[in-house]
Amino acid sequence: MTGMQGSIGLADGPGPVGQVGPVASVEDLRVTFRRGGRNVHALRGVTLHIAPGEIVGLVGESGSGKSVLGLSLLGLHPKASTKIEGTVMVCGQELTSGSAEEWRLVRRRYLGAVFQDPMTSLNPTMRIGRQVAEVAGNTDEAVRLLNAVGIADASARLSSFPHELSGGLRQRVMLAMAIAGTPRLVIADEPTTALDVTVQAQILRLLRRLRDDLGMAMLFVTHDLGVASQVADRIAVLYGGRLMEVGESADILERAVHPYSNGLLRSRLTLLSGRDRPVVSLAGEPPDPTNPPEGCPFCARCAFVEDLCRQSIPEPVEIRRHHQVACARAGSLTEITDEALAPWPQRADPTGLAVLVHAVTKTFSVGRGRRRRPLHSLRGVDLEIAPGEVVALVGESGSGKSTLLRAIAGLLRVDSGSVEFGVPGDPQMVFQDAGASLTPWLAVGALIAERFGSSGLSRAERGQRVEHALASVGLPPEVRSAKPRQLSGGQRQRVALARAIAVVPPLLLCDEPTSALDVSLAATILNLIGQLRRELSMAVLFVTHDLAVARIVADRVAVMYLGRIVEIGPVDSVVGDPKHPYTAALLASVPDPGVELKAVMGEPASPLDIPIGCGFASRCASADELCHRSDPQLDALSESSDGPIRSIRRVACFHPVRSDEALGGGGG
Amino acid sequence: MVPNDSLVASAESRFRRFDADSSVTRPVWIMSLQKNRRAWCAGGLLMLLTGIALVGPLLAPHNPLLPAGGPFMSPGHGGFLLGSDSIGRDELSRVLFGVRTSWFSALGVIASGVVVGATIGLVAGASGGRIDEVLMRLTDAFLALPGPVLAIAVVAALGPSLTHTLVAVSVVWWPFYARIVRGEVRALAARPHLEAARLAGATRLALMARHLLPGAVPAIVVTASLDVGNLILTLSGLSFLGLGAPAPAPELGAMAARNLPYLLQSWWVSVMPALAIFILAFASNTAGDLLRDSFRDT
Repeated sequence: MTGMQGSIGLADGPGPVGQVGPVASVEDLRVTFRRGGRNVHALRGVTLHIAPGEIVGLVGESGSGKSVLGLSLLGLHPKASTKIEGTVMVCGQELTSGSAEEWRLVRRRYLGAVFQDPMTSLNPTMRIGRQVAEVAGNTDEAVRLLNAVGIADASARLSSFPHELSGGLRQRVMLAMAIAGTPRLVIADEPTTALDVTVQAQILRLLRRLRDDLGMAMLFVTHDLGVASQVADRIAVLYGGRLMEVGESADILERAVHPYSNGLLRSRLTLLSGRDRPVVSLAGEPPDPTNPPEGCPFCARCAFVEDLCRQSIPEPVEIRRHHQVACARAGSLTEITDEALAPWPQRADPTGLAVLVHAVTKTFSVGRGRRRRPLHSLRGVDLEIAPGEVVALVGESGSGKSTLLRAIAGLLRVDSGSVEFGVPGDPQMVFQDAGASLTPWLAVGALIAERFGSSGLSRAERGQRVEHALASVGLPPEVRSAKPRQLSGGQRQRVALARAIAVVPPLLLCDEPTSALDVSLAATILNLIGQLRRELSMAVLFVTHDLAVARIVADRVAVMYLGRIVEIGPVDSVVGDPKHPYTAALLASVPDPGVELKAVMGEPASPLDIPIGCGFASRCASADELCHRSDPQLDALSESSDGPIRSIRRVACFHPVRSDEALGGGGG
Repeated sequence: MVPNDSLVASAESRFRRFDADSSVTRPVWIMSLQKNRRAWCAGGLLMLLTGIALVGPLLAPHNPLLPAGGPFMSPGHGGFLLGSDSIGRDELSRVLFGVRTSWFSALGVIASGVVVGATIGLVAGASGGRIDEVLMRLTDAFLALPGPVLAIAVVAALGPSLTHTLVAVSVVWWPFYARIVRGEVRALAARPHLEAARLAGATRLALMARHLLPGAVPAIVVTASLDVGNLILTLSGLSFLGLGAPAPAPELGAMAARNLPYLLQSWWVSVMPALAIFILAFASNTAGDLLRDSFRDT
């Protein structure tokens, strides 16, 4: 970490860069691609400096250009189809028009990179020991690096292939390769997005620790302000290829000035968001990068827009120390208050039964021949949902939550147990990838009309009911003749919803319908589901990995782990006072701004290898011999057992978290 | 059920972009054809060949079965544009009639292959499990039959006739399509849209006909158009071996074969029909390539 800094002639540049020159900087960077015969203006004049040892969180929605900026600093744009203007400096070298060889040297000496999907970044045919040793120089160094990224028993792991490791371990291997040779700057592009939330918390802590130990700078690209707030010293908000706001993390989180970053913050769901009313959402969509607007990129969605905004792109202005905002009205926009949304109407407590799931088990068989093994996906699940009630099913990958959903939908046959419906009709389902759940060559109208079956409706009646369904999800009737691929992601999810509710189902099954959407869009879809279920008195089972989302949509929440429900109860009491150590660990792993992460150890247990005792015992801080020996059943907590049935808390734990231990009871 | 204002507002602002696209009402494949000159060229080429096969015999200056002048007249002499054959029949007329026979034979075999193969492939791919297993083993059994040998056997049993040859070729031609369609359908069946359609209440027939088959159409069209050339060569080859239409009937492969002894004195008698075969095969292969590229782009 010595040497190069003295030769950097940029110390007098603008921006909050301290006394030493930046380790990397871009000045008025413009990146344009040629794609499908059109010019995609990915970055339109971005100036950003990264100081040595600093973690900059680059936050933006899909299409904002955030990954493009990361690739620009790595010199990984294909030369033939990319036009780069402005300045890119890495460790004092001007590299805007650097040759492939120059970039290769810079990458080897100064840069490291971690991407979202370690499975595609690692070579599947090479043992990880060889892959890490390739960048580390020798095997001893590889073991040292793997230890440094928290891989226990690293020398034993050397002979594993990437597919034999869990997602979290693979990402640690990628990190080990990224920090080989102690780079000056690591570009991390959504490194935790594909991971479970408890593992994400571990990786975020690891990233900060590595920075502290090695003193490297990092550009942390993410779509999630909460995640950025957990690692970054400074946060830069990118939108439509322009930086909207740059400032120190705490400053941005508490006093975001730009209407966009402010809106992002407010539409981000936390464990404290109000759940008695619709959540705040940013209307509209990001600008088209092939045809960017003349003025401020955000002006089409901005509530404070004025003529000036549409005419010229505002330049960043320093409104206070280390805090720049690119907004024509930056001075006058220090206070933005929420326009109060009307609360949801009060309703009577749900009664009756929409669906009764009783002791459902499902075991798959994986592998072939002698390596054939049982995968215990559901291990006895009981659940009942009343008409008009929303139950959230929360769990990490491998918990069986999607299997349960598909079993209830009748898409797969259960091994034992039963699913009974108390209301006539077939359950409907909304999928995570709405685009893939709509038949690509059929028009929206035909897809929705399919729900009416051979019900003897005339053409006109069908058409009317299709339009009615579209209207109830906020889409104009013309959409009926569109093909799914002509719609945006949010529109597709609305169409999927319209199809599901065209004939009101007794139960709506939602499989992470918002997790593939940008924050602002996700908020509108959640509001829509909240509105529809109230209007139609529809029971909803909502699968999510995000407790903050569960809290917003649901009346009750069921936490799943290893094919069982380990805790269930009213959402406020489960989130406010978790009893199962796993629930507590999940809550402590939610990356909310301003809340310190407490990471639970270990990875989610594998449904291929079910322990004898409690499934969570190996990761649980309060587990004792009893937990490893026998399996706790889902029992009602004594303090709640005399209330109405839906207010009963049940937990499968020998040592439930005491209320006074608060959040993080299972934390380590 | 009136959505609240903010939802409507956001939906409207989002809809503006969608609305700008005026071509929404047209089916996707027509749009892609419009955008794609290559697909038009391919379609035009195939139509042109069919047109020639249809009206060709009307343009024939002479009866293809009867002598119209002296034998072995070279092209351009004695009123024969492409010359005359060993007994003085007009070569041009015979080639024009031969083109019709070859082209429609090829189309017929392919149509039967597509219908039978696509049906079996669709049922196998959509059902999976044991039905899939049985149907695909049956397909394999047919795939194992050697086409020319079967044709020889059929002709030996029923006597030489073009129909018999076509039946024999059709029997071995469909398994190819069954395999392709089954593969496409299996891949499509793994997509969530099929589960969504099942939940929406689509019947088994609707699932197959509406939600699976259209996805396999591009593969079928491309394969079929590439296959025309293949089939014309196969049929001509069989005629060449004497397994096609019997003696006086004009058939391209047979004409090329029977006149081979005269190649050194009167090359045109066998080269002209061979050239016609070449043009047909080349044009349909080109059309297939163009179609494949155009589907890949969209």
